[in-house]
Parts: sequence; structure tokens; C-alpha cells
Amino acid sequence: MTSPASNGKRLPLEGVRILDFTVVWAGPYCTMQLADWGAEVIRVESVHHFAPQTRGLIARPPQEFAENSANQGGGYPDDLLGERPWNRGPYFNNHGRNKRSVTVHLGTPEGQAALDRLIEHSDGLIENNLPPNIEKQGITWERVSAVNPQMIMLRVPAFGIEGPYRGYRTWGNHMEALLGHPVLRSYPQLSLDYAPMAVPSDAASGIGGALAFAMGLRQRRKTGKGLMIEAATAENFVPFLGDFVMDYSMNGRVQERLGNTHPTMAPHNVYPCFGTDRWIAIAVRSEDEWASLCKVMHQLGLEDDPRFATMESRHEHRDALDARIAEWTAIKDAYWVMERLQIEGIPAGVAMHERDVLENRQHGARDFWRTISHPEAGTQRHVGPLWRTTGDNPGEARHAPRLGEDNDYVYKEVMGYSDEEYADFERMGHIGMDYDPSVA
Amino acid sequence: MTGIMPLDDVRVLDLSRYTSGPFCTRVLGDYGADVIKIEQPGTGDPARALPPFYQDEPGLERSGIFLFLNTNKRSVTLDLKSERGREIALELAASSQVVIENFAPGTLDRLGLGFDALRAVNPGIVLTSISNFGQTGPYRDWQGTDLTLLAMGNMQGTGDTDHEPLKTAGHHATYYPGYVAALATSMGLMTAELTGEGEHLDISIFETHSHSVDGRLGRTLAYQYNGRLVGRSGMAGAIGSGIFPCADGYFGLNAGAGLVQRMIRMVGREDLLEHPDWSTVAELSKAERAIEFQGILIPWLLERTKEEVRTECERFGVLGGPLNTIEDLFQDQNFQAREFFQEIDHPTTGPIQYPGFHAVLHRDEPMPERSRAPLLGEHTDEVLGELGIEAGEREALRASGVI
Repeated sequence: MTSPASNGKRLPLEGVRILDFTVVWAGPYCTMQLADWGAEVIRVESVHHFAPQTRGLIARPPQEFAENSANQGGGYPDDLLGERPWNRGPYFNNHGRNKRSVTVHLGTPEGQAALDRLIEHSDGLIENNLPPNIEKQGITWERVSAVNPQMIMLRVPAFGIEGPYRGYRTWGNHMEALLGHPVLRSYPQLSLDYAPMAVPSDAASGIGGALAFAMGLRQRRKTGKGLMIEAATAENFVPFLGDFVMDYSMNGRVQERLGNTHPTMAPHNVYPCFGTDRWIAIAVRSEDEWASLCKVMHQLGLEDDPRFATMESRHEHRDALDARIAEWTAIKDAYWVMERLQIEGIPAGVAMHERDVLENRQHGARDFWRTISHPEAGTQRHVGPLWRTTGDNPGEARHAPRLGEDNDYVYKEVMGYSDEEYADFERMGHIGMDYDPSVA
Repeated sequence: MTGIMPLDDVRVLDLSRYTSGPFCTRVLGDYGADVIKIEQPGTGDPARALPPFYQDEPGLERSGIFLFLNTNKRSVTLDLKSERGREIALELAASSQVVIENFAPGTLDRLGLGFDALRAVNPGIVLTSISNFGQTGPYRDWQGTDLTLLAMGNMQGTGDTDHEPLKTAGHHATYYPGYVAALATSMGLMTAELTGEGEHLDISIFETHSHSVDGRLGRTLAYQYNGRLVGRSGMAGAIGSGIFPCADGYFGLNAGAGLVQRMIRMVGREDLLEHPDWSTVAELSKAERAIEFQGILIPWLLERTKEEVRTECERFGVLGGPLNTIEDLFQDQNFQAREFFQEIDHPTTGPIQYPGFHAVLHRDEPMPERSRAPLLGEHTDEVLGELGIEAGEREALRASGVI
């Protein structure tokens, strides 16, 4: 078995083959971690089915969509769709790195037979689809374990394989809404329809899924048997709300609309800086840090204001305090404020955007970026592996696979089909690098 | 009874404090690891002083965050700055597979407990370090909090276009890298078991946020593709997407030109799908169409409760969810039916509900029961006794403040 990430390095998941049926963000981010650290991840796709928001929002969007949809579902290179838009989306081309792509039409008997062969020759199967939908394709633990009792199968449904919401389809932001997260993170001063879209649950689910899979491998080594693990995205994320769960559970308190406030710290906010839409986050944890901040902002004379004498009184008068600090930051460069306050040991950070992150000197010094060239999307910088080790780190990454790019390898070398049989699959419409014209 | 667990043969020496490291070891404990938590004699983990407190009264055994983060751990008080304290820590490291720490970079070396010192007593040790900006680089010694670290991790994309960028609620900025650290540790263990050689893993909180798939990852590549900064626009503007009022609160929906057809059917206007203005993706991508559709959608929503809208979404395959509170979550039918929340007893709080497991192993045996967070130093005698340190020496160490 070969892993694109290894390049001769000794990586922990070398020799582990995973069938990847993941969609959208959470599942693909999980298998991205596993592929980065040496697993051979094979995305099992179909030229007859397009999973929305995985290789783009729709297979063949009109040019208007590419231009009007900003970077949500669109975001194509130069806003051009190209001949195969599904190979040019920024999300897929990020989390798809180091993976392989095979196309199989599972809605046919020979497709199901091919799936049996894939299961037979793999260590893991990972999926995060709506449970009834994936089960209809014949992907169940009963089938998988019957074909390969050594298999580690990881399922990452939104709410659970079983339970009232088994058939309830959501993205991360809707699931988070149901858990109470947007209400917590909303602006204190605005109504709830201003609650921001943010999907930390997708990222958390990717990490939790990869960890659960690694645990499955360790369990298999100890018991000699395969295992199914369920890591429902919602249940994986509720612990991230532990503070609020405990406050409710201990004290019956329902917190909401916290914005950038902190229960005790002040100042603790994001302040406008010079320029368009530039902001600096400042958090003061102690009286020493407050004294240092007053020294830097000496023009304001805040050290003499009795309202701001203690953490408690600053917290009480935080709106007035924030207004004064904003006067000071508004005419300053955000980076100057960050560097100046960090010299004094005060936590301060620029609210960064994409260009800031790409140009950041800490990322540069730590060699955070990997250059990847994609045959249909050009050459860009991608994030590196999620952590470093004194052992071997992943080498150069291979580009995200084009649809069906590894058909030849997977059918012949993994599944063991002959050239003749491969030609049959081709003839029967399993193999291809283009979606069937009937796919919207 | 509970059967084999993936990490029940792994001991973790947990030197971490506050939130990121303890989140990591909490998860390793859930998977069966024996986590020995080292705390400063007298004051303990500073997280013991973090709100919310039981009945809003501060106290070493009353912090909700501490109780939540430290299930399945044994607490040992040990002064790492004392010579004997350091020796005992090294003895524990010798019988552990993993050490977790989140001190400021360089601290562990100054304590004489750095990777080389640990490796000298245990060549297979995996040392996992979590820090704000990583163990190297020009920001290495910079300060950070949940707020400032999220800001630097591309906070610019979260919030409303006409208002300030927003952080994510609670301690997400540090819990998340703690989770990454648990994953990294599992990989480090695999390599160490394969080769017999330990590793030092370096987790930078800043990097985990620049990496995160929650929109930030894709945007950084999209920016290189088309030179556009997305800002805080989110999906607002796409047809059928946003947060809208309903009869008893608010409801979040997403559609966009590719998926809005289901929503048009849900609100009973399938007739529109025959009309040229509504039947092509190109038309549905137009901003004026999105505004026009709000005039149809919002009156429909205002006649229905959150739960009624949710049920209709499920029926039509529309992507959406109610804006709930934590209280709603506790009462939600799905979490009740799955018995997700777990009751754990504690001498201070009595039995209260905690979040359940991140993941469930499907097998004959049930998942193991979790033990409550330890009282400060509750297991000092037990663990030192296991090392062969006799009661007499323990008394002396206690008298001199080492334990």
C-alpha cells in the first residue's frame, strides 16, 4: 500500500487503508487528518450522484452562480468554472489532499460486488451521511463486518444512527443552532437574527472522528476484532459547550448572547482600528496587565478614573471603558497595537482575515504552509499538518484527487480486477472522470 | 463488566492546567487511560478558580469548568519546583506512556522535565505540548486568551458585516486544540509502539485555528483562487438562507440556488417552479430573487413554531435548525431518547448532569461509567504508594509542602 503523504517517511498510519464515503466538511476533515498521517484514503464516489457541498454546491453551476456565490459553494479559481467545476472548488481541494478517488455505481449488482472487494481489502470505512441514505446503498455494519470482520467502521451522523432525528438532515450550523450555540455567541446588543454563522462543530467532528478511528485501530489490535464506532456530530460538540451545560445543570442558569464579553475580565473586547474593517482583540487578565495597558494608553488617563480601579468595577462599567479604549485604537494600526501590547505581555490579537493569515510571520517562521499544484486549479499554498513532531512529519502533499483520478489503480491494484474486467466496468458506466449528463 | 477499552493499558502523566490540556486528558480518560493529574499543593489547577461555580460561590471543589474537564482522573499534589517533586514526576513518567503539558514554552525545560529529561528515564515516552503559538517562532512567548487567539485565527469572518467580529462562545479556542492534542497523542503512541522511540508533539493553538475546517480553511485557499476576502457575509444573500423569525423564536435556514427548490415546495409554492424567473439556477442566484423569496418565506415561518418548522424541514429535506437555548437542549427529544446526558455524583454538588461521550463504541459491553473529578490531592497517597513511597516519607513530604 502506498500513501501519498509519506514520501518515504515513517508515518503512524502507514499501511492502513480507509474507504471514504464522507461528504461536506466534517467527514472529509476527519479523513484529511488520517491521510496526512499516512493512511491510504480512497474516496468512493459515483459519476451518477453528486453530493451537494462536497465537490461544490452543484455539479455544473451556471457562470452567474460562480460570480454571485462569493466563497460559499463557489470560490472557483478566477471565478471560472472550467470544464470540470467539481475539481476546482476550494473546500474540496483543501480537505481532499493526499486522498485517492474511485468511481463506482453502487446502485447496480456489479457495483455492490466491487464494494465487497473494496471492503475485503481495507482496514476502515468512514461515512457521515444521513443514516437512511447510506444504509440504502448497502453500507451497514452488518454487511461490512460480514465481508470483513476486521473492519473499523466509523459513522459520523448529525444526531445519531438511531433516535428521533435519524432522518433529519442538517449542516453544522443548523445542528449547532439546535444545541444552543448561536444563541450563546450572538451579539448582546442585537436581536438573534444577527447570530453569526460559524461551524466550529464541523472542525470538532473531524478531529473527534479521526481520534475515534485511531482508537478503533488500537482496540482492534487488543481484541483481534473489528468494531463500529459512532461519533454523532451533535454529541461530539455538546462537550464544547461544557461551561454552559454545567452552569445550567448546577445552577439552572440559561446563558445567552455573550458576544465578546467575559464573565469577569474587562477590558475584554474587539476594538476598531485605523483602516477599513480592521479590529484588535484585547483581554486584560490581571491588575498588572491593566497597569501596563494604562501605561501604553497614557493619553487617556484611565488609571485615575475610579470607575476603572478594579477588575470588578471595570467589568461593571465595561461599556464606558470599551468606548474609551476604542477612541485610542481607532486611529492606530491594528498590527502596531498588537505588537505594542504584546511587548508589555498583554494578550492582544489582530482579528485576521485570509491575507493576514497567509502573510503571518509566525506561520512563515514555522514553515506552516505546503505548496500544492493541482492539474485543474493551479498552484497555491495550503495549511501544513495539524501538529509537528520530533519524529517524521508528513512530506509534500499530493493534490486533491480529481473525480475518478485513481480508478485504474484502485480497480486493478486494490480490488484485483483484470484489464478485461476493468473494461467491462468502463462499458457499464462505473468508471469516469465526468459526472453523467443527467446529474444536475 | 465494561470490557477492554482502547487506552486501558496507557498511563498519562498530566501536568496540564486550565482548559486545553485538561480537555485533552479528559478525552484520553474517556477512552480508558489512567490519567494522573499533577496539581500545585494548596491551590491546585487554576481552573478550580474559574466560573461558573456551584451556587455561584467560589471554592476549590465548586468550579463547573473544573468538574466538567477532569472526570476520570486521579489528582496528585506535587510541587514540581522542589527537587523531590521533580524526582517523583520523573518516576511517574518512567511508568507512563504519555506526558501532557501546556505550560508556556520553555517552562518544562526549566523545571528539569523537558523532553530530553523524560526520554532519559523512558525512551518510549510521548510528550504532547500545547501552547498559544507553538514551541518555536517569533510569537513563541506571546500571550493569548480565548478571545485574542480566536481573533488571530481569522475571526474576521465571524459576525455581521455591519458590526464587530465575534468570538465563539465559551472556551472553544482552547478546548479545540486540546482535542487536536488528543488526536496527535494517539498518533504519537502508534509511532512509539511501532518503533520504541518516543516523540515530542508540538500543538500550536494559533495553527489549529488557521487550520480549522469551519470555513476558515476553505477561505484561505479561495482567497488565493480569486483574490476576494469573504468578510462576515456568511451565506447571507443566498436565496432561502439566513436566520428568520418564526412564531416562538428564530430559525436558521440554508438553501442557495442549488437547493432552494425543496424549500419552495415546503412553503407550498411549487407553482413557482414552473415560472421562468424561478426555474433556473441562474435566476435563483440573483439577489433580487432572494429578497422576493423572503416575502414568501417569512409569513410562512411566522405562522409556525420552531418545532413545527423543524418537522417540515425534516419532511422536505430542507436544511435548517431552531435557535435553541441550553435549556431547550436538555429537553430535546433526540438527546432524551438517546440518554445522552450523564448523571455524575460529587460531594459538593450532589448528582448533576454532564455532557455524555464524544463517541460510542458499538459492542456488547456498555461504555464505562465516568468517575467524578477528583478532590484536590485525593489520590496523592494512593499514587505515591504505588510508586513504593512509604507512609513515613509521604508525611515528611506533606509537612515540607512538596505534596
